[in-house]
Amino acid sequence: MMTIENKIVFDIKNLDLFYGNFKALKSISLPIYEKEVTALIGPSGCGKSTFLRTLNRMNDLIENCKIEGDIEYHEENIYKTGIDIIGLRTKVGMVFQKPNPFPMSIFDNITYGPRCQGIKDKAVLNEIVRTSLEQAALWEEVKDRLKESALSLSGGQQQRLCIARTIAMKPEVILMDEPTSALDPVATAKIEDLVVELKKNYTIIIVTHNMQQAARISDKTAFFLMGEVIEYGDTSHIFSTPDHKKTEEYITGRFG
Amino acid sequence: MIEMKKNKHPHFQKNAVIDEVVKSLLFGFALLSSSFIFIVAGVILVKGFSPFFSDNGGLGAVNIIKFLTGDTWLTGEAFHSNLYSVGFIIVSTVYIAILSLAISLPIGVLTALFIAKIAPKKIAATLRTVVEMLASIPSIIYGLFGAGIILKLVYNFSAVIGYQSKGGNSVIATVIVLAIMTIPTIASISEVAIRSVDKTLEHASLALGASVTQTHFKVVLAAAKSGIFTSAILGIGRVLGEATAVSLVAGGRRSGLSFDILDTTSTLTTIMLEGLKETSDLDYDIRFSVGIVLMVVILLTNIILNVVKRKVGNVDVK
Amino acid sequence: MSMLNKRKVNDGILQGITYGASFFSLFVLLAIIGFVFVNGVHLLNWDLITHNYTAVSFIADLKEGTGPGNYETDQVFAEGTYYSDKWGIALADDTNVQGKNVVLVVYVNPQSPFASLHDKGISTVPIPLEKDYEIIRIAFDGASSALSVQGAQNMITILDGQNSFRELEFSTSGGGIRGSIITTMYLIFFTLIIALPIGIGSAIYLNEYAPNNKFTRLIRLLIETLTGVPSIIYGLMGLAIFVPITIQLTDATGGNIISGSMTMAVILLPIIIRTTEESLKVVPDDYRYASLSLGASKTQTTFKIVLPNAFSGILTATLLAIGRIIGESAALVFAIGTTIKDTVKITDKSASLAVHIWAMMTDEPANIELSTTIAIIILFIVLTLNISIKLISKGMMRKFGANA
Repeated sequence: MMTIENKIVFDIKNLDLFYGNFKALKSISLPIYEKEVTALIGPSGCGKSTFLRTLNRMNDLIENCKIEGDIEYHEENIYKTGIDIIGLRTKVGMVFQKPNPFPMSIFDNITYGPRCQGIKDKAVLNEIVRTSLEQAALWEEVKDRLKESALSLSGGQQQRLCIARTIAMKPEVILMDEPTSALDPVATAKIEDLVVELKKNYTIIIVTHNMQQAARISDKTAFFLMGEVIEYGDTSHIFSTPDHKKTEEYITGRFG
Repeated sequence: MIEMKKNKHPHFQKNAVIDEVVKSLLFGFALLSSSFIFIVAGVILVKGFSPFFSDNGGLGAVNIIKFLTGDTWLTGEAFHSNLYSVGFIIVSTVYIAILSLAISLPIGVLTALFIAKIAPKKIAATLRTVVEMLASIPSIIYGLFGAGIILKLVYNFSAVIGYQSKGGNSVIATVIVLAIMTIPTIASISEVAIRSVDKTLEHASLALGASVTQTHFKVVLAAAKSGIFTSAILGIGRVLGEATAVSLVAGGRRSGLSFDILDTTSTLTTIMLEGLKETSDLDYDIRFSVGIVLMVVILLTNIILNVVKRKVGNVDVK
Repeated sequence: MSMLNKRKVNDGILQGITYGASFFSLFVLLAIIGFVFVNGVHLLNWDLITHNYTAVSFIADLKEGTGPGNYETDQVFAEGTYYSDKWGIALADDTNVQGKNVVLVVYVNPQSPFASLHDKGISTVPIPLEKDYEIIRIAFDGASSALSVQGAQNMITILDGQNSFRELEFSTSGGGIRGSIITTMYLIFFTLIIALPIGIGSAIYLNEYAPNNKFTRLIRLLIETLTGVPSIIYGLMGLAIFVPITIQLTDATGGNIISGSMTMAVILLPIIIRTTEESLKVVPDDYRYASLSLGASKTQTTFKIVLPNAFSGILTATLLAIGRIIGESAALVFAIGTTIKDTVKITDKSASLAVHIWAMMTDEPANIELSTTIAIIILFIVLTLNISIKLISKGMMRKFGANA
């Protein structure tokens, strides 16, 4: 069942990705819609995270990584020469699998990004910290200890801090690479609720191993297998009546 | 519509430019650091070869063969002669190095064995600290110790056997000072090698009925051969290059090759230090020539020992 | 049975040798520390650090209009110190390095004529007699001179019997190492200023920017080879290159502290680079990814996140460098020179503490006493540095170990 189409934020066209001679992504084509949660599911090692990293050009950090094809962000190919990569990353943020707060205070973690962009005004920074932590559902828990080390927080809190840190940059898109796989069920549930709340304002692309999670929180789902997108569509459709046999097999747990 | 064209967002583009500038600057530093080896080599070679190919202010070029094979440092008056030779000093230097290694290698290796395998934890930790402390003592203090204590001992000892020693300055004093300087190097590297020997080798030996001591000496040390050799190579490098400490106990012998351990001696490094306070022209340049000889000796010993090491150490332990 | 005994005997011998060899190191360490302490500790006092090395002799007489008076004082002097109420000075006996008896000034009353004497030499500036100066002789008109060999009491007695003297020969206190200490500090400062930026910068490049290819490996190899060169060779290089450079660019006329610093910097580069690189490696990549994904530039990431977290490693590198500078002798003998100075100028020759030892030991006669005293100071500093480095390493483990 097709819902009313939102605007397309990312349009990926025939993306191939090579690690040296190994073709890790094959002819990926799919559109990412604004203010939706798109889940990327599939067995381990099938390219989901690799694909995610192409969207904010974090793959650039890996040697011998080559891209062919187009990735258009608002109709502009982000792999064209001359593209402002740093600027791209302020618009397309990323939350990692293992929470990675800086060994600084909670406050400094959140203000790091804005300060790198030249924002110095204390009032502005304070406001950014408050808003970001509120949106990340962490404000109440840490508002009295903003100057404490971020490392004193629990795993789940650290991850929400990382989300707040990303939100502080006022991105348009948030990429999440298995954000709850290192967390316990309670913390996981909190983050899932958060994602559903966040999609009102942000476009979210989330890689997950956990199919139930994908089914619970996403609007669209893409099923990856061996570097290819086997099927992509509305989550409800994928999880009830998938078009492809492989998709069905994966969802019913026959492999993965 | 988000625009990321080149000319919008000047702040972001400034960052990219800064990145390039910083990268180039840091690359420059790395390049500079790696160029120093050439500068050192170049200077020594240029200044060191000049006595052989120039007139040396009227004294005439130094004969390279005579320089390398003679047995008197300077024949004639200083600043009036070009008859320099380090031949006998080369031999003394190598002789001293071998002797000191003959002392420091066994002591160092046995100490390493003790720390790694035999001593209970607390004693091992203490000894390891002792070795580290010895390693951090500057060489001039070893020289001072040599001059204060070792020289006296050698002097008294030679008096007992009826030998008139020059204040104790001798080959044996030099060897002892160099040996105790080298023990920490050999002990610490050998310890690592010994500790990385596969325990199953030891177990096999013990299971065959060998005693612990036999296992240590026949199996463990043999298996650690390669690492122990490395420590010896590093040790001998340090010995060949040591200058001020040796100059306080060697005696500054200026001619004649002698293998008598109670005789005074010189090494390539001490002869470079000789008379440094009033030197000029050829006397000054010739020290660079000695420097070349020193580097060649160090290089050759390294190469030879590495070849021997490869042939001897067939059990590869990291 | 006899095979077993033979083996036991063999084992016993080997074990004995092993134990012996191991405790030999302990024995050597204690011997060195003992020797240095026993010989040097009695010279170890505050004056040593503040005094000049070279004692200067003066010949003086009374300034116009000054003379003996009444300088009674409430000060109490120790046994063996003799005070002259008439002249306002207190003298005592001591023995010098050569074992001869000398007369030392213990106290000079501020109003005493000795507090401001007339220099019989060229200078027109009045010279004061100060504590710890050595009185060599006092010559009188119409009486025999008071000599230092005759003792302090004798000198005071003769003085008390006279109302004036013809000349006073004395020498300022020497044997202090103030100049060498200042030299060493200058040396550390300038060497670090040169070596740290270049070394840390190179390490940052190699670990954060350099691609993994042959060229980078070559750079690393070239830097590593620097460690195999003995320091005396670096001294030669310093003499041949850095000394002429400094002569050209400054008012230096020979070896100087700047040329010495440049030489030490080259020696220290490989250590600083290696240690810094290690500490950069330990910083988790996670931090770099987080920073970059937030839109920070590489420069910002390196300087705001990576470098601060590698701080303890860089501190270790600095402490290692300082230890090496303090202990270095051969290279500095060539690159600076061996003149012991009391007024230190960075564009002039001077001796660092280690070079001071060498200079004294190669003099006639060798001054073992003062050398061992300096050795105590050097050993103390080096030991403290080593302990600090160990503590820092442990702290570093804890920091990154916890943040798994």
